Amino acid sequence: MKWTRNFWTYAIVSAMALLSLIPFYILLYLSLNTPSRTLFDGLLLLPEFHIQNYADAWQKSRIGSATLNSLIIAIGAVAAIILASSMAGYTIARYNNKLHSLVFNVLLICMMIPAIIITVPLYSLMKAIGGINTHWGMILLLASNGLPFSVFLYTSFVKGLPREVEESAIIDGCTPFSAFWRVTFHFLRPVTAAVVILQGLAVWNNYGQAVFFLQSQELRTIPLAVSMFFQQYGAQWNLMAAASVIGLTPAVIAFLLFQKYFVKGLTAGAVKG
Amino acid sequence: MQLFRTISNRLHYFMAVPAILLFSLFFIFPLTQGVGISLTDSNGVTRPDFIGIQNFIDFFKDDRARTDVSNTVLFALGSAPLLNLFGFLYALVLDRTFKGKAIIRAIVYLPAVISPLIMGYVWYFILQPGRGFLFHLLQKVGLDGGNWLADAHSALIVLILVNVWQFVGMTMIIYLAGLQAIPKELYEACEIDGAGYGGKLRYVTVPMLVQSIKINVVTNMIGSLSVFEIIIALTDGGPGYSTESLSIYILRMLYGSFTGYSTAVAMILFVMIVIPVIVFMRIIRKQEFEM
Repeated sequence: MKWTRNFWTYAIVSAMALLSLIPFYILLYLSLNTPSRTLFDGLLLLPEFHIQNYADAWQKSRIGSATLNSLIIAIGAVAAIILASSMAGYTIARYNNKLHSLVFNVLLICMMIPAIIITVPLYSLMKAIGGINTHWGMILLLASNGLPFSVFLYTSFVKGLPREVEESAIIDGCTPFSAFWRVTFHFLRPVTAAVVILQGLAVWNNYGQAVFFLQSQELRTIPLAVSMFFQQYGAQWNLMAAASVIGLTPAVIAFLLFQKYFVKGLTAGAVKG
Repeated sequence: MQLFRTISNRLHYFMAVPAILLFSLFFIFPLTQGVGISLTDSNGVTRPDFIGIQNFIDFFKDDRARTDVSNTVLFALGSAPLLNLFGFLYALVLDRTFKGKAIIRAIVYLPAVISPLIMGYVWYFILQPGRGFLFHLLQKVGLDGGNWLADAHSALIVLILVNVWQFVGMTMIIYLAGLQAIPKELYEACEIDGAGYGGKLRYVTVPMLVQSIKINVVTNMIGSLSVFEIIIALTDGGPGYSTESLSIYILRMLYGSFTGYSTAVAMILFVMIVIPVIVFMRIIRKQEFEM
């Protein structure tokens, strides 16, 4: 009885895992084929390990500098999001007043608005402040897109945290502000981890804004570089696949590093709130 | 010194200020401006003139826009329910105890980590008509087919399935977090009352998951109604405009310098998203009160 139950569990989860992994395998396979080998001669799904594809794709797509741009923007935006939304979440949860509940409700409503909707007016704003084709412009813009959900996560988490957490620090002579940074902020680690993953990926994968506000070649991020490469070399699948692999690797690594904290953070922040 | 102390003692009341400033400048301000722009014939170059609701009238006469609305709605109607169904089923399976659970969970989530644009290209290698992996595979076993992206109806279905495939892990993880927050005693009490698996699911699991359901349904509605990256990568809106979504239309009108019109379409998309979300929130709040 127990044996069959186990068997079925493993059968189902293996199918689920395979379903998720097969496209990645096909991608790797394509990325290691020689250009001359038209697809799948003889169904044997073993690639030819033509590593040269990666060197070519790396060079032609300039994905190296794109990775650097993506990193700068992602780190900047995530730092800004954590800073602004943890403080906001804390003060909204702890010091209830009309302004704070207004801010919270406005953010909740704005969670429903996809960023693409404000592209036009945003463009004239970015032009006016000189933020087009700059790292800082993109950082601030994407940080503000990520704020609603992050503030929501932090606020619900702080509400579940007893006030005693920072009270003893305040009695010891801290101001409530410094008590937050010295004490409370450390208790928020699970939410911070969830915010780093969710918002980090959203920023990292952003295409809808990047395509408008990062038009110069030196500032291209990974999705832009890959899509440009696709338009130029779309017919050469081996190169295209190699570029895709290079493009998606950093996100995969970052996810694997942080995923341990993920469910914990979401449980703490979103689901109980 | 006294002043400094007063300021630092009150600083905690102003901790929301950075968030408020940032969000007002980059979101609220452009949003209010957008309402104005949607009432003009702005083209991004010459001085815009106020034309009232002409853009909105044009929208309802625009055949391409009508196709895009129906594509967007059909995509959402297919995508959001399937995502929730499979996300929930996946979560139920992964809530069991077995060895290697963490690894499977990470693998299932993995596709959601990657840019929908890049993931779309990957599926393009598999599904491209006449050339893709699947086409060759089917040819090998003597079948003709695998050209689903060439036909408008099947292309839309493929887009929905690819989207579900990519984001099922995201939905799953929210349901899983909800499942793990349910106290075990509730199930025990339910067992004592003689409920089977179905009974436990109906009277404990689903009601306790309200918060997860809320998050998932709302995010999936928003995500699927504003879809564009996956479509750009897989069909680029084609054949013709038959799989173009409203978001893509908005982007293309922008490139075509129909700035005023594009903004008006964006406002319509906004309404198309807000209405179902509000209706859903109403319904679920009523349910909560009844429980």
